[in-house]
Amino acid sequence: MYEGLSSPNIHTPANLSEYASIILHYPASSLWAGGTFIMSRPDAYPSHRMNAEIIYLGEIEEMHRFQRNDRFAEFGAMVTLDEIMSTGKTVLPRALIENIQTIGSRLITRRATLGGAIAAKDFTTSFPGTLIALDATVEVRFMKKKRLHSRWMPLTRLLDRSGRIALPPQGLISRVRIAFSDKNCQFFSQAGSFMLAPEDSVSAAFTASLDQDILINPKIAITYPLHGICYSRDIDSIFSSLRFPLDDDEENTLESMIFTFVESSFPDISPLQKTRTRGIMRSIIDTLNERSLTSSEEE
Amino acid sequence: MKIDCTIDGKTLTLSLNSDKPLSLILRENMGDDGAVNHCNGEMCGLCTVLVDGKAMLSCLVPAFEIRGKTVVTFDSFRKTRNMKDIEKAYEAAGRFPCSECYASRSLIFESLIEEGITDEEEILKELSIVRCPCMDPEDAISIVRKGIEIRRKRNVRRTQLA
Repeated sequence: MYEGLSSPNIHTPANLSEYASIILHYPASSLWAGGTFIMSRPDAYPSHRMNAEIIYLGEIEEMHRFQRNDRFAEFGAMVTLDEIMSTGKTVLPRALIENIQTIGSRLITRRATLGGAIAAKDFTTSFPGTLIALDATVEVRFMKKKRLHSRWMPLTRLLDRSGRIALPPQGLISRVRIAFSDKNCQFFSQAGSFMLAPEDSVSAAFTASLDQDILINPKIAITYPLHGICYSRDIDSIFSSLRFPLDDDEENTLESMIFTFVESSFPDISPLQKTRTRGIMRSIIDTLNERSLTSSEEE
Repeated sequence: MKIDCTIDGKTLTLSLNSDKPLSLILRENMGDDGAVNHCNGEMCGLCTVLVDGKAMLSCLVPAFEIRGKTVVTFDSFRKTRNMKDIEKAYEAAGRFPCSECYASRSLIFESLIEEGITDEEEILKELSIVRCPCMDPEDAISIVRKGIEIRRKRNVRRTQLA
């Protein structure tokens, strides 16, 4: 029906050096990983841009690799979420596994890739937040002086001021390294569907070690798909200064502190997102209270 | 863009927009507008097809990704022996999907039976993409398990005959 109107040119590099030469010739190209997000947009087809160039990353062999040692697992950015589940379900951090499980059917996880989930354009999936809470690092490849350079960095370094993952121009994420966490408190919770109702959805990932009623190295990241990731070291340090279990007053103070930060970062979130965020925060605090009471009883 | 692929057993060379969704290709270029839905990426689950034997949502697959691949829609799948196994499993379980989701559920069942997945959680998760409420989860699980049993028996019979 629309054939020939604006068919994008597809480039399929077989390795990263081919990618580098393509991106040099076509610097305005769009990168295509699994395509689940791009294809699920209502205006995905026909393409509005004339002479669009797409670089399909699915043929780059080194981005499909997976390796692990006793400290971390390293995934190529084109490893699908289904492959992550089948290779690392027993060893990977629980928060990540729970995050993948919320996506639902394998018809989607079989196509969605880790790199695509992190670097989706103008949209934030629940994955970067979870990976931030898990201290994940990513290898970013970027062009500098016509050459492809690589740098490992924590995912938090890629967060811009608006809470979105921002890659350098013509850059891509090639590998993701996730440490095997020994943190004994890991939660992932999502309310609403990120793909079908992004304006009302929210997810939160929390990791920490609860030792003698005190949280060690806590990290919390709250994600709003259309706005970005709410992550701050200040909130982490508020959590680490607390002694659990919290009473009602302490719980309310903590909640209002977090909310002040959330509202100052994202003033446009919907009332339903606010209510859902409050609900998720409550459930995290309740679980921490319960854990601390159980552990003190055991002692 | 010229794309070589096999759709329902026919080897074709199609001239298409490279980012055209497979669901639209099947409806507009192949005339298969009865069995394949085009929900514009809303993930309704009713546009399921088999790509190289694996169930996929055709609205999420762009044209350039089917180069050299084999696509099977329900239109051709329903004439196969594998569909007969699934029909037998429906009869054994005493439950049939409704006419709306019959095609997509049958293709997802085929993918699960082919992979031999018996884990309840995995079966339900795979089927969760079809939001039609016509089938109970227990029935879906028993259909997959029955289907695997029927397929295994048929394969054993075939090897014995060979």
